[in-house]
Amino acid sequence: MRRSLSILVIFIAIFVVLPGILAVVGGGYWFRVTTTIGVFAILTMSANLVSGTTGLMTLGHAGFYGIGAYTAALLATGLHWPFYLTLPVAGAVTACFGILLALPTMRLIGIYFAVATLGLGEIIHLTLLNWVGFTRGPMGISAIPGIALDGLFAASDMGNYYAVAITAALTAFVLGRLAHSYYGNALRAVREDDQCAASMGLNVVRLKIQSFAFACFFAGVAGALWAHTTGYISPGDFRFSESILILAMIVVGGLGSLPGAIVGAVILLGLPEVLRPIGDYRMIVVGAVMFLSILFLPRGLLGETSVLSLMRRQFGLAWDNAKQLGWRQ
Amino acid sequence: MTTPLLDIRNATRRFGGLLAVDDFSGVVQRGERVGLIGPNGAGKTTVFNLITGFFPLTSGNILFDDTDISQMKSFQVARLGIARTFQNLRVMPNLTVFDNVSIGALGAIGHSPAKALFNHRKYAEDISRRTWETLERAGLQDEAGELAANLSYGKRKYLEIARALALSPRLLILDEPAAGLNDTETAQLSDFVRKLSNEGLTLLLVEHDMAFVMNLCERVMVMASGRKIADGTPQQVSSDPVVLEAYLGSEEEAA
Repeated sequence: MRRSLSILVIFIAIFVVLPGILAVVGGGYWFRVTTTIGVFAILTMSANLVSGTTGLMTLGHAGFYGIGAYTAALLATGLHWPFYLTLPVAGAVTACFGILLALPTMRLIGIYFAVATLGLGEIIHLTLLNWVGFTRGPMGISAIPGIALDGLFAASDMGNYYAVAITAALTAFVLGRLAHSYYGNALRAVREDDQCAASMGLNVVRLKIQSFAFACFFAGVAGALWAHTTGYISPGDFRFSESILILAMIVVGGLGSLPGAIVGAVILLGLPEVLRPIGDYRMIVVGAVMFLSILFLPRGLLGETSVLSLMRRQFGLAWDNAKQLGWRQ
Repeated sequence: MTTPLLDIRNATRRFGGLLAVDDFSGVVQRGERVGLIGPNGAGKTTVFNLITGFFPLTSGNILFDDTDISQMKSFQVARLGIARTFQNLRVMPNLTVFDNVSIGALGAIGHSPAKALFNHRKYAEDISRRTWETLERAGLQDEAGELAANLSYGKRKYLEIARALALSPRLLILDEPAAGLNDTETAQLSDFVRKLSNEGLTLLLVEHDMAFVMNLCERVMVMASGRKIADGTPQQVSSDPVVLEAYLGSEEEAA
């Protein structure tokens, strides 16, 4: 009961109230801001699965985001595929790339894994930039068809908003199922102590690869959404700085916390927009918010422990509701 | 005559120039309580790490219930039925006691993203039940919702054993279970471990607390400098001159 009510409130807010407000305010600009936040929420939620829950700090997420964006853009401009095909295919292609590129790094832990993924991200960025014959290099790809269906609806701000919102909601559902379940416990065990997890019968390498593949899949989907909603992409959108931004969002929101990842994206992208009236000072405020939130809430605004118990309490995901123990999924 | 549950044959492990375990052979019979003792650096924990697949043998074989486990990885050995605890407590501090123990149940029952994605109720129910029953067995029901980081040292010992028990192992390997416990706690732990043994679990343990070992174990293997130097009942090994020499030094040296 509580669970359905909580979900209903969230749905009404995302699919009725927010688009309603945006339509009344009537700004294409604010639509652009919210769709950007939505795309980044998909990125932070997916990076959080691998960096927060499984504990493999990735610094190359923007590279995989780029693979998804270019896959979708090339399929849509070259082969005229519609968005409902390019989105899942971009995800699948990115996941395959992710698995292939990450296989040799799966034995690495901590800072070594972070540096290896940093290298991967740079390789992807430089490939997009220099393989001019295929990616058009620094000129980027323009005139990417928008989110539209012949005879049903044409590309519009509202269409973009709903496409991003629905995809983000599906992402949250899938990643929530993975993180808020016994499978999530297995991933957290890998993070806490991988040797110990192995001696309890967990296949650590497989768990790492699976979580990386899921993260890459949704990074690819986010890239496809970005390509279709902006209509233009260039390698500059998928640089190292984007990976760092994604990581900062996760850490501010709370490593290992799915709602925290969303909150981090909303704050670090929303705040600069809200603070636009104070001009260039706004980035100082954003920096201060990051600094202070880490100083006073090192576990993030919505820390993992409290989020896991919130999921058990508010969303009824506990096996034993009276004692709030275990998972039902 | 049935085959032993664990059969270590000429196990050798070399780390560079150091021969950590040198031609070690020994068996553990079903239902037995066996102690592995020896001075610091004798290679006891290395033997445990070889059994549980932490690193490969340089030469030799280890058979578990007639299956050669020498080449297996840790998780495969665990799934076959060998669970262990660690010398330095290794609980997962940011997980609750319940979630810690669920890791053992996950190892035994298995895990896959599909089970979580397609809402496999029966699977989750199985893991939850097994976890809860193990918590009751280890007397940790009241702490089930606490973060492991908040438990007392003594309780963490039980948590580590409970997590291993959730695997439903046939062989439980304990690495210094009594370390850091006071006399009362050690006696309680001894009773608990004896109870597990009476329920049919086979035990192999490393321990420095001699009273604990001599009291609990039916048979004791003694190691020194990577080799097995004695194997027998507690009475036999405690009066064995070779063992006394390894622990105390020889009379000539003392003189």
